[in-house]
Amino acid sequence: MKLRSKWLAGLAAVAAVGVVAGCGTSNSSSSAQNTASGNTSQQAASVATVTLSETGSSLLYPLFNAQWIPAYHKLHPDVEMTAASTGSGTGISDAIAGTVDIGASDAYMADAQIQQHPDMLNIPVAISAQQIMYNLPGVKGHLHLNGQVLAAIYEGKIQYWDDAKIKALNPGVKLPHQVIKPVVRSDGSGDTFLFTQYLSKSSSEWSQNYGYGTTISWPGLQTEIGAKGNQGVVAALAKTPYSVGYVGISWLDKAVQQGLGYAALENAAGKYVLPTSATIQAAAQAGVKNVPADERISLIDEPGANSYPIINFEYLIVKDDQPNASKAEALKSFLEWAINPSEGNNSKFLTPVHFLPLPTSVHAKSEAQIEKIKG
Amino acid sequence: MRKVSSAAKAWDRVFRVLAAIGAASPAVFLVLIAAIVSVESIPTLRFMGVHFLTETRWDMGNLYGAMTHKNGVTAPAGASYGALVFIVGTLLSSIIALVVAVPVSIGTALILAYRVRGPLGFLLNILVELLAGIPSVVIGLWGILVLVPWIANSFAPFLKSILGWIPFFGGQTGTGYSLLASGMVLAMMIVPIITATTRDLLEQVPVLAREGGLGIGMTSWEVVRYVSLPYIREGFIGAVALGWGRAMGETMAVLMVSGNATNILPQNLYSPISTMAAFIANQLDSAETDASGMAVHALSELALLLLAITLVTNLIARWLVRPRRREGVITS
Repeated sequence: MKLRSKWLAGLAAVAAVGVVAGCGTSNSSSSAQNTASGNTSQQAASVATVTLSETGSSLLYPLFNAQWIPAYHKLHPDVEMTAASTGSGTGISDAIAGTVDIGASDAYMADAQIQQHPDMLNIPVAISAQQIMYNLPGVKGHLHLNGQVLAAIYEGKIQYWDDAKIKALNPGVKLPHQVIKPVVRSDGSGDTFLFTQYLSKSSSEWSQNYGYGTTISWPGLQTEIGAKGNQGVVAALAKTPYSVGYVGISWLDKAVQQGLGYAALENAAGKYVLPTSATIQAAAQAGVKNVPADERISLIDEPGANSYPIINFEYLIVKDDQPNASKAEALKSFLEWAINPSEGNNSKFLTPVHFLPLPTSVHAKSEAQIEKIKG
Repeated sequence: MRKVSSAAKAWDRVFRVLAAIGAASPAVFLVLIAAIVSVESIPTLRFMGVHFLTETRWDMGNLYGAMTHKNGVTAPAGASYGALVFIVGTLLSSIIALVVAVPVSIGTALILAYRVRGPLGFLLNILVELLAGIPSVVIGLWGILVLVPWIANSFAPFLKSILGWIPFFGGQTGTGYSLLASGMVLAMMIVPIITATTRDLLEQVPVLAREGGLGIGMTSWEVVRYVSLPYIREGFIGAVALGWGRAMGETMAVLMVSGNATNILPQNLYSPISTMAAFIANQLDSAETDASGMAVHALSELALLLLAITLVTNLIARWLVRPRRREGVITS
């Protein structure tokens, strides 16, 4: 008997919750009607909240989670946002499937994917870059490297640090006769996309045999280390003398603290440049005139004496046909806010995560894309 | 006799249904997972055929280029899916783990079952169980920070210097991210499983038989060798099979220390490798950007293969411990 009454109490509780929830929704809709002619603050409070969900790039996640969402929620308490760090590929496929509203990606969608899903928009929201880092005990300053030499290292054609081709780029630097240990990202990564795109642009052999992508089929090398995530790459570099690898710009400070050096890379003008906000901005400015209306473009190796060669757009992937008008409005106003230089694209949000704001001429193209979103 | 009310009868029926659902769910889940993975891998079976098992190159092809058609399925140009590297990596790393873990587990279990008593025994038992509870990512982190540099700087050169004449022990000593490191972290993870089971088995060996052994002048080792181990043989093989299954399916710790080699088979103990489980975890994100979907199908086939291999080792273990007539073994 006692047992049965417990069961009944449980059932009653479940039923009560259901009834209350039902009342809740009907109450709010009726109050919305009632206050249609009333004061506006009351009306705003009773408007049903809209949720915007985001998954994708682990590089964009800190920007969403720690910077944008708290700031945007303060301005728009009626919009609930959630973010998750899942990797760019998952972000894109979630956005295509419609399970999330925003997919964040370091790489733009491939043509084949766009043909299958022409309703997807690739909207740049910030600029990122990547540096080549190495662990060379005893070598001070910044090594000079270029795409051909890096491609040869990753193909296993240059095996030692004192190879004639590396020496030729670094006259006067005493390089050790040690085996080079290249580090790659084992997980799918926007950083792999950028790095292999740089190698593909620099070496036709690389382009033919290996190509580019968020994961590629690397030349199998006994000396190679595959590490997960930027933190894994930095740890592998720090623990492995005579290693070399590619690391996202947001990890630069932490990696330098661990004793790693980073290279000055040869740009399209034949100059060796370090990744600084000036050289990244210069490259972005040089690249913007080629940005097409759908904004899917590589920004590798842009012209200009002061342009850093490995930079990219960070993208938000959204559908242009939203399920309803309120969702479309919420999404549009968030995206507008995110690319606005005095709001979401302000350096106070971007600097903590080492991104740079969009160049102004790209802004108009992003706005035109955002305008396509319909409910 | 108590009269059964209709309400009680109704509750009895509810209980039966709930119990039936509960009892069926493991089988249903297993069949569902196997079915989904099998169906998902059909396109790759058609695309690669038996070459999936024999080739070493895994290449999603150029995702940013044109598509090719083969055997009625579509994939990006240049795509080729060969899983041999991951099959070899999985089997070798888990076998190394067993080679390291089995002697250690037997030794630990013997001490725990027969030698230590009281607070010390309590403490040791707790420690073994705590070792089983360490999250694999923590073991992986320890592997990166401590084990990998130690292998690169000390252990691999040492092994090479004394055993270098044996194939697979010589050659380049590499970066520490290796088959050896993978086997060792896996050993750490399966020692507690094998130890705990073996300890429980050893405690069930009848005291009378062991004391009898000592009584006729056997040494401690002889009692273990001729009384205890034969008695627990079947259960012990089951424990090892359990550990082996765990080692083959372990993902995170291996992913962190294996070096994640692709397109190349290990040349020696110090070569980087990749296992099936770690590779699936690494690649799924990029695979989802393949517009043809073939990359995800290929990973499904890899998952199916892992499932099949784990099942086969389990069946072999069951066959080894099948009930049969004991001969020459003392039973209680």
